[in-house]
Amino acid sequence: MIDVGQSTMTRRRFLEVAGVGAAAVAMPGVMAACAQTGSTPATTSSKLSPATLSLFISKDTAHPQQQSQLMDLIKQTFEKQNPGSSFTWDTYASAAEEQTKLETGVAAREGPDVFEFGSTVVPTAYASGAFETITNSMWDELGGKKAFFQPQLAMSGPSSDKLIGVPWSGNPYALVINKAMFQAAGIKSPPKTWNEFVDAAKAMSNGKDSWGTAMAPADGFDPWHKIWLFATQMGAQLMDDTGKKGLLDSEASVQACAFWLDWMANFKIASRQCATYKGADEIKAFASGNIGMQVMTGPGGIPTYDQGAVAGKYEYVVGPTVPYGVSSLPAKGKPAQGFVSGQYLTIFKYSKNKELALQLIKVMTSPDIQYQLFKLRAQQPVVLETFSKHPEAKVAPWDALYDAELKSYPTPFFGSWLQLEVVLGKAINTIAQQIGVTGTYSKDALKAALTQANQQLAASIT
Amino acid sequence: MMTPSVALLALIVFLPILIAFYISLTGLNQYTIGDWLRAPFVGLRHYMDTLEPQGPFASSLFNSVKASLAFSLLTTALIMPIALGAALLFNQSLPGRAFFRAMMLIPYIIPTFVNAILWRLVFMNGTGVVDQLLSALHLGSRETFWLIGPNSLWAMVIADVWAAWPFVYLMSLAALQTIPGELYDAATIDGANGPRGFLYVTLPLIRSTLGLAVVLSTINHFNNFTLPYVMFGISPPEQVNVLPLNIFVNSFVTFNFGLGAAMSVVALAIMLTPAVLYLRAARVGDESR
Repeated sequence: MIDVGQSTMTRRRFLEVAGVGAAAVAMPGVMAACAQTGSTPATTSSKLSPATLSLFISKDTAHPQQQSQLMDLIKQTFEKQNPGSSFTWDTYASAAEEQTKLETGVAAREGPDVFEFGSTVVPTAYASGAFETITNSMWDELGGKKAFFQPQLAMSGPSSDKLIGVPWSGNPYALVINKAMFQAAGIKSPPKTWNEFVDAAKAMSNGKDSWGTAMAPADGFDPWHKIWLFATQMGAQLMDDTGKKGLLDSEASVQACAFWLDWMANFKIASRQCATYKGADEIKAFASGNIGMQVMTGPGGIPTYDQGAVAGKYEYVVGPTVPYGVSSLPAKGKPAQGFVSGQYLTIFKYSKNKELALQLIKVMTSPDIQYQLFKLRAQQPVVLETFSKHPEAKVAPWDALYDAELKSYPTPFFGSWLQLEVVLGKAINTIAQQIGVTGTYSKDALKAALTQANQQLAASIT
Repeated sequence: MMTPSVALLALIVFLPILIAFYISLTGLNQYTIGDWLRAPFVGLRHYMDTLEPQGPFASSLFNSVKASLAFSLLTTALIMPIALGAALLFNQSLPGRAFFRAMMLIPYIIPTFVNAILWRLVFMNGTGVVDQLLSALHLGSRETFWLIGPNSLWAMVIADVWAAWPFVYLMSLAALQTIPGELYDAATIDGANGPRGFLYVTLPLIRSTLGLAVVLSTINHFNNFTLPYVMFGISPPEQVNVLPLNIFVNSFVTFNFGLGAAMSVVALAIMLTPAVLYLRAARVGDESR
C-alpha cells in the first residue's frame, strides 16, 4: 500500500507538469499510436489470468485505520474469489489530487485499473473518454442496475446506456440541528421554509458566541453546493441545458448568492469568522455546540459531532425547501434536499486487467462489504440489499439521510460543471472575504463578480 | 564538440517551452487531454482573453502579476538585510557559533507545505497566535483577519521570509568567508574600519553574490506555489492569488490547459526580464575586470 497522504504539490512537481513542463502532456500523445487499449471486459469471472490490480481511492481522513481495515477485508475476499490475484491501493486526500491523477493518467494512458471519483468528477472522467462504459452484461455481473440505490445512477453517466461509474458510497445531504439550542430558543420544529430558517436562526444568535447557523464560503465546494440548492428550489439553473452556457449572472443566481451571503452580512445569523471557513471548520463549529443548524450536511460530520459538545444533542432532519421571500415552492422549483452525491468506481480504459477490475468492483459493491463500509467508515451504502440484510444502516441518524437521498436531484452531467464550480466558488469567496473584513458587501459588486465568473466560464468551455 | 550540449539543451529546455507555446494556442481541455494533438487550434485567443483589457481573464492575470511582484519584491527586500546581518554576525568568532549557524538553517529545511500549515495556524483569526498576542498587548483585535483581505499578503510575506532567509544568509556567509583577512588589516591601517570597512571592502567584494542572491530570491518567490496553495487553497484572496496559483487553478482544476499554458508563457516572459538584466550586469562586470 502506498499512501500519498499529502495534498500539496512541490514547485518542482508543478513546473514538471505545468506549462514549461508540458512535455509530460506531449509524451503520451507521441506514444498514443503505440498504446494498447486492451480488450472489453467479459461478463464472467471464470478463468481470469491472475494479476495484481491497482486501485486509487479517496482517503478517509476521519477514519484512516478503519479504511485500512475495510481494505484488508476487501482484499481477503477478492483474493479468495480470485486465486492468485490481488490488488494494491493508493489514496488521494484532496479534489486537486484526484483531478491531477485523472489528468496524468489520461494523458499518459497509464494509471490505476480502478479509479474512484466523486459524483461531480464523473462527468469530467466521462468527457476524457478514458473510462470503460459499464455494459448491461457487466451490470448483470454486479447484480443488475436495480441492485443499486437508484438516484445514484443518475451521476454514473450521461444516459442509461453510457454509464461509466458504479456507485460505491452515498453522501446524502440533510439539515442537521442542535436540539438543545432549539429547545433553549423555544423552537418546536425544524424550519420548512427559508423564512422560517432565518427566523429560527435569529432566535438562536446572540452575535457573540451563539449563532443560528454557519457557512464555509472559503471551501472549494460549499459555495456551489448551497447556491445550486437555492437556485434549484427557485426553479432556476446555473447552466443551460446544452452545458455550454453558464447562467451565473442571471437574476435568480444573484438572488441565490445574495441570500447565502446575507446570513453573515444582513441577517447576522452566521459569524463573520465563517468568511475563512472551509467545510471541516464548519463541522468543527457545529460540533462545538454553539451553532443551531448546519445546512445541507452529509454524514461525514457524524464522527466529529459524536466527539464534540453537540454529541447526543443533534439530529438530521429534512431541510427547508421553500425559497426565501415566498410562501410556497415556485412553479418550476424542486423540493431538493441536495444533489446526488457519492463516490463511484470506474474501470480505466487502458487497464490490461479490465475483467479482473470488474471482479474487484463486484466485491466492493457486495452487500456485506457495503455494510462494513457503513459500519467502519460511516458511509452510506448504495446497494439496496445492504439495507434489508442490515437494517441498522437505516436507523437514526441514517434514516433521515436515507430519506434525503431520495429527495436529491442530479447536477447537470457536463464536463464543464467542474469549471462552473470553480468560477462560482471564487466569485462567492471574493465577496465573502469582503464581508469578513468589512461586515458588508454591495449587491453591485456581487453582480459584477458573477458576471465576470460567467464570462470566464464561457471562455473556458467554448 | 558543442553539438551534444546544444542538442541536450534543446531537448530539455527549448522543446518543452515550444510545446507549452503550442498548447497555449489550442483549446486543450478535459475532452482532448487524452489526445492533445486533437485539441482545436484557437490561435491567440487565450492571449487575448488574458492580455486585452476587456478579456475575461485580463483582470485575473493583472491581479496575479501584481500579487506575485508585490510578494517577491517585498520578500526579497525584507530577506536581504536580515540575511546579510546574520551572515556578518556569524562570520565573526562568537561562542557557540557552530550551534547557532546550524539552528539558522532549520526554517530552510522544513518542507514548504509544513511551513505553510504552521503559519496558517499562527494566522488563524481568533484562535491564532498572532491575534491572541496582538490582543494581549492591546495592539489589535482578536478578530483581525490575516488569511483573507489585505493582511493576507503580509501573512504570506512573513511566512516566506521566515522560511527563505537562510538561503540568502548561506550565500552571503559563503561570500564573506572568501574575503582574505589581510584586506581588513590593510583597510584598518588606512582608517577604514567598522562601517567604512563594510562599505569599501566587504560590500564591493560580495556585490556579485548579493546580486545573484537578489535575482534568485526574486525568481524563487515569484514562482512559489506551495506556500500560497497550502495557506489559502484554490480560492485565495485577491492579494495572494499569485501567478503560479492562478495558472494551477486554470490548468489543473478547471482543465483549461490552453489558457494555463498561455499564462505560463506570459509568466516566463516576465521572469526573463530580471534574469536577462542580471546576466547583462554580470557580463558588464566581467568585461570591466
